[in-house]
Amino acid sequence: MNHLPILIILLYLGSALLIPLLAGRFSSRWLAVAAAALALILSGLSAWHVAEGGTYSYFFGSHSAPFGVEFAVDWVTVLLHLTINFIGLAILVYCNKEIDFAIQSWFYTLFLLLMVALNGLVMAYDLFAIFLFTELGTLTACALVAVKPKALCVEAAFKYLILSTLGSGLILLGISLIYMATGNLNLGALGATLPSAYTIYPWNIRIALSLFIVGFGIKSALFPLHIWLPDAHSASLTPTSAIHSSLVVKIYIIAAARIIFQAFGDSLISVLPLPQVLLLLATFGIFAGSLLAMLQTDIKRMLAYSTVAQISYIFLGIGLMTKTGVMGGLLHVINHGIMKSLLFLAAGTIIAKTGSRKIEDLSGMGYRMPLTMTVFSIGALSMVGIPGFSGYVSKLYLAFGAMEAGKPLFVVIILLSSLLNAFYYLPIVVRAFFSPGRHNFTWDGLSWQEAVPMLALAAVTIYFGLLPGVLVNLAKMAAAGWLN
Amino acid sequence: MFKAIFANLPFLAALLVFLIGFYTMLTHSNLIKKVMGLNIMETAVFLFLLASGYVGGGSAPVIRAGTKTYVNPLPSALILTGVVVGLSLTAFALSLVVKLYKYYGTVDADEIMRLRGKDE
Amino acid sequence: MHLVLQTVAKLMLPFLQLYGLYLIFYGHISPGGGFAGGAVIAAGFILYALAHDAELVSRRVADWLNSLAGIILILLGFVGIIRGSAYMFNIPEWRGQGGQLFSGGLIPLLATAIGLKVSSAVVMLYYYLVGEKKNV
Repeated sequence: MNHLPILIILLYLGSALLIPLLAGRFSSRWLAVAAAALALILSGLSAWHVAEGGTYSYFFGSHSAPFGVEFAVDWVTVLLHLTINFIGLAILVYCNKEIDFAIQSWFYTLFLLLMVALNGLVMAYDLFAIFLFTELGTLTACALVAVKPKALCVEAAFKYLILSTLGSGLILLGISLIYMATGNLNLGALGATLPSAYTIYPWNIRIALSLFIVGFGIKSALFPLHIWLPDAHSASLTPTSAIHSSLVVKIYIIAAARIIFQAFGDSLISVLPLPQVLLLLATFGIFAGSLLAMLQTDIKRMLAYSTVAQISYIFLGIGLMTKTGVMGGLLHVINHGIMKSLLFLAAGTIIAKTGSRKIEDLSGMGYRMPLTMTVFSIGALSMVGIPGFSGYVSKLYLAFGAMEAGKPLFVVIILLSSLLNAFYYLPIVVRAFFSPGRHNFTWDGLSWQEAVPMLALAAVTIYFGLLPGVLVNLAKMAAAGWLN
Repeated sequence: MFKAIFANLPFLAALLVFLIGFYTMLTHSNLIKKVMGLNIMETAVFLFLLASGYVGGGSAPVIRAGTKTYVNPLPSALILTGVVVGLSLTAFALSLVVKLYKYYGTVDADEIMRLRGKDE
Repeated sequence: MHLVLQTVAKLMLPFLQLYGLYLIFYGHISPGGGFAGGAVIAAGFILYALAHDAELVSRRVADWLNSLAGIILILLGFVGIIRGSAYMFNIPEWRGQGGQLFSGGLIPLLATAIGLKVSSAVVMLYYYLVGEKKNV
């Protein structure tokens, strides 16, 4: 029997529990890096298993479907496990000097527990497990923001905590409404019984669906509920901003999409005008995020507002509710995760070496820090959607999805927003390499721990831009598995 | 109509408590009162879950000789998880408030915004 | 703190711990369970620390117990994998009669590990909050 899904979670959990035993004597960093590397190997093995034998379910405690906790391992799970563990490994290798020794053990414990939550959330197949991993993810994500001992970080973490807990309360209320109406919590069983339960309890199902959207929307920064995001992502440490912007906000969208597509199914999407609401909010989010990003002078805040815009792309893909649309959304989850973590790591390196966080201080940086600015430019060009980089592929499939759904307006919106993205990313790239700059800082090169993750992420971006075949096929199978 | 209200009284009470907690969280400017409002909202959700699991005439869900119907035990498991999570979140929020007091010297949200605006 | 407070806290401590242990061990046949019992044991330690302003369990011991209990919890699940089923599958030979203390397979062991973890975690929460006050 294949135990790989649960072993990934247990590996991270066991390492997180071992760190306080070693703190103070050994550096906990190598334990964390070893755990992430092993988890990446295990996710690769799990992907090979699914490729050979097809998708399967893992029952925790061997109790079958309505009674036990079920973990469903399908193509979405496998793809996202690979993405999460790869980005986690890259970020863990990167963080060495920026983390003070005093907070090191707490940071790595929280990071590993966040990995547990992310890996579990893409696998969980019943509402109770989704709630559990959501709460774990919320708590560790807020604590990761608060780890840096500055007043701004603690305030941002407090705001994030209050809003996220409100979202969790709403999700729990939605779960209880669904339990009242149907009597079981397994997503597969719900998909079978919800249509008949809807005829008896229509209002329960409607209110539960809207509570799920609002609850998960607070946590994943859907347009009007994104107000915690710029503070939390710009004030925190670089590895924290990288993991938050690239993975945490997106996995909540994946959890919400799993509930919508596999519990509610096609017959019940029309009980609420859900596609219209999601598309409207996504459009507002794209334009608001891009316009606000253009006005920023601090580089991390600009990247945080850019995250709001890109999250709205993923909501656009899910709101289109066709196979190609959901496939585009899933591709954008993976590609944007890699791009955004690359951008945050590069920006963090620049901030750490030069000490200034302003965008105008980046002009001429291409001559002083060539490697860092090159990878930053690769990330920026990929965000705009230039062909040859991975961002182009996901935006292309989002446009295809809009055409397939019969809504060509959204192709225009995607094109316009790519233009807006270019307005605030391209000047940075051009000024970094083609203008003189006034810098007076001394630095002695990048250590290999900072250079290798950035180079690996940039290489993956270029590879998925030039040869996207494998990724697109896997995403197509994943979306087909959800929307059959 | 009154019959409908009396039949659903626990759910209405849960909604009322939720709104009280939400109002507390929105209007009071003291940070500790905001955390308490959060706690009250979580308690309202637990009350809702508990009320949904009630079976009329049932006893506590512990197997004993002679009892026939039991109250549904699954909401109790969900509520236990929620209580543990609520405890951790409250402890974390209060420790953040302690740290904010150390940095700013006040626990009033309006004062903190004023001080922060003066710093920048 | 006043002498009456200190003496009463010292006298109440064993009763609190006994009640907490009862809740943990009888968790599978009566209301209670690991979390409630662990919280009561932690409440006993916190009461002593509040009254006497001294730690009964040192911070390092609480940290170690926390991690060890978590690791025991993970390892108990591997019993299911070793015996060929999924993770954390119960052991049929230890099922016993319903309503007896020694019944339920793995469940009392899991409850004990949970009780240990919860009590050490809540005590550590208290130590960290009081430690902040001393720095302020």
